[in-house]
Amino acid sequence: MAIHEKSLIEPERLLRHDNLVVDGVDVSGHWNTMITPRTITDYDDDFEAVIQRYPGAENVHRCWQCGSCTNSCTMYAQNVQFNPRYWIYAVRTGLKDEIIKDKDIIWQCVSCNKCTSICPKDVRPEGVMKALAHWLEDEGHMPKSPSRIFDEEFTEQIYARGRIEDSLVLLNFLKKTGQPLVPQWLRVFGVRLMQYLPVGLGMRFARNFFIPPRTRSWGRTGEVLRQYVREQKEATHG
Amino acid sequence: MQDTVLIVGAGPAGLSAAAQVAGVGYKAVLVEKEDVLGGAPILSGYARLVPSGEWARDAIGRMVKRVEDDGNVTIHKGARVTQLNGEAGRFTAKLSNGKSVKAGAVVLATGFTHFDSVNKPEWGFGTFPDVVTTTQVEQMVTAGKIACPSDGRTPERVAILLCVGSRDRQIGREWCSKVCCTVSANLAMEIKELSPKTQVFIYYMDIRTFGLYEDRFYWKSQEEFRTKFVKARIAEVTAAPDGRLLLKGEDTLVKRPIVIPFDLVVHAVGMDPNMDNPEIAKVFGVGLEKHGFIERGEHYTNTCGTTRPGIYSCGAAYGPETIDDSISQGMAAGARAIADLHGLTRKAS
Repeated sequence: MAIHEKSLIEPERLLRHDNLVVDGVDVSGHWNTMITPRTITDYDDDFEAVIQRYPGAENVHRCWQCGSCTNSCTMYAQNVQFNPRYWIYAVRTGLKDEIIKDKDIIWQCVSCNKCTSICPKDVRPEGVMKALAHWLEDEGHMPKSPSRIFDEEFTEQIYARGRIEDSLVLLNFLKKTGQPLVPQWLRVFGVRLMQYLPVGLGMRFARNFFIPPRTRSWGRTGEVLRQYVREQKEATHG
Repeated sequence: MQDTVLIVGAGPAGLSAAAQVAGVGYKAVLVEKEDVLGGAPILSGYARLVPSGEWARDAIGRMVKRVEDDGNVTIHKGARVTQLNGEAGRFTAKLSNGKSVKAGAVVLATGFTHFDSVNKPEWGFGTFPDVVTTTQVEQMVTAGKIACPSDGRTPERVAILLCVGSRDRQIGREWCSKVCCTVSANLAMEIKELSPKTQVFIYYMDIRTFGLYEDRFYWKSQEEFRTKFVKARIAEVTAAPDGRLLLKGEDTLVKRPIVIPFDLVVHAVGMDPNMDNPEIAKVFGVGLEKHGFIERGEHYTNTCGTTRPGIYSCGAAYGPETIDDSISQGMAAGARAIADLHGLTRKAS
């Protein structure tokens, strides 16, 4: 029988083994479902200081949890999981797991700074959001961003030779980020450029230079025209 | 007779009332049930006072010396008023030391009694030696060393529980004791000063560091001394297998249960009515308000009054009060008593 209450539990707290035998009894599948407790059993007293070393998060210890940041947050209006007050609290009490759990939404901060403007204790929550994103990256919870990979390549070349070689920076950056030298977009760009390049027009210009074209069926039309103009002039001016 | 004011209780309020009465040239008779003057700050060994930061023994000591040196003040230590006869302008009080005092007015500066934490057994006081009260920590600060009573070790982590004996219908304390938030924020700073490595957590329902205490105590304690304020009313204190204490409750801001280990748990005890108030009410013929404190007379024109003419009150006898305000009210009650006596004298002549 299914445990309907499972819908009330966060999925990451449900433990289940597909195959499990305990004391000779087969309890595979939902029979062995266990739920990890939500109880906070300790504080990490040092975590706050770790985050405070990132620029922008220096004032996180001032927070008194009024909720003004979350209240004013642009992203919270879109997604109630985006809760700066909660993350600040997690920083203060050292609930690292809670930060890691939300790693895929913390970076969504749009830096509108409404929270920083409204904060009565000058915590600067926007800076805390940035600090958390950096911490997640430093701790390896997030993949390295392309800009960080570029910076690393750049810096390495400086260390090695005191200067960079542009082509090498680009080449190695592309290699490290798994990008081909000629990416798809560049290839499409080239093909389209060729397609729409006015090659025919240029060739016609060249031919016309050497063999100026005549209007079709022109024949003696020119002589007739010349004759007519002369007659008109004589008729007018005598 | 009409130039004498009987003052009952020699705490901050009573000492202030006596100084006021004597300063104007009237006579004050100060009756104190204990053998030392100074009231709760001296008897309970308070450390530094809020908000001055002065040591209690120095600040209150000066108040004691001022009345002791004043020829207009007569002091009866270790004595109680057992009987009061007469009316406004001509009271006669019998004291437990056999003496009799004639006075025109009476000021009840009878103060309060600290809440006895054994009345909240789930919070471990009396069960675990490392559960103490703010009064005990005041004494530790005065002695200059923060230690766990069980084995004398310096605590790594201290929890201060607010509203112990306040705002609690379960135990019939439906009042806010007014000072404990500020006192606790201040104690957290004093603990940090004595033991910088100790982490102090304050478990609160609300923080009521009213008026100018907000930034001077609450913010300063959090921002400069790194006190952590956690919004949780603790359910129970139990023992961990390693001898530390476990605090159980709900962290209301994250909606999660907490079971956190601590070395020292401090009860921020509230202010009860003076445990002698039923007796005091009977002897002096004054009413008590519904919580058991001295009932205030109509405040606007009968300031510092009680339900009986000629008997005045001040400070924590009326309800939870700060030391500074008790001193101001003592002065006001002294002035009020003299003014009424002066009025009686003028009417007679």
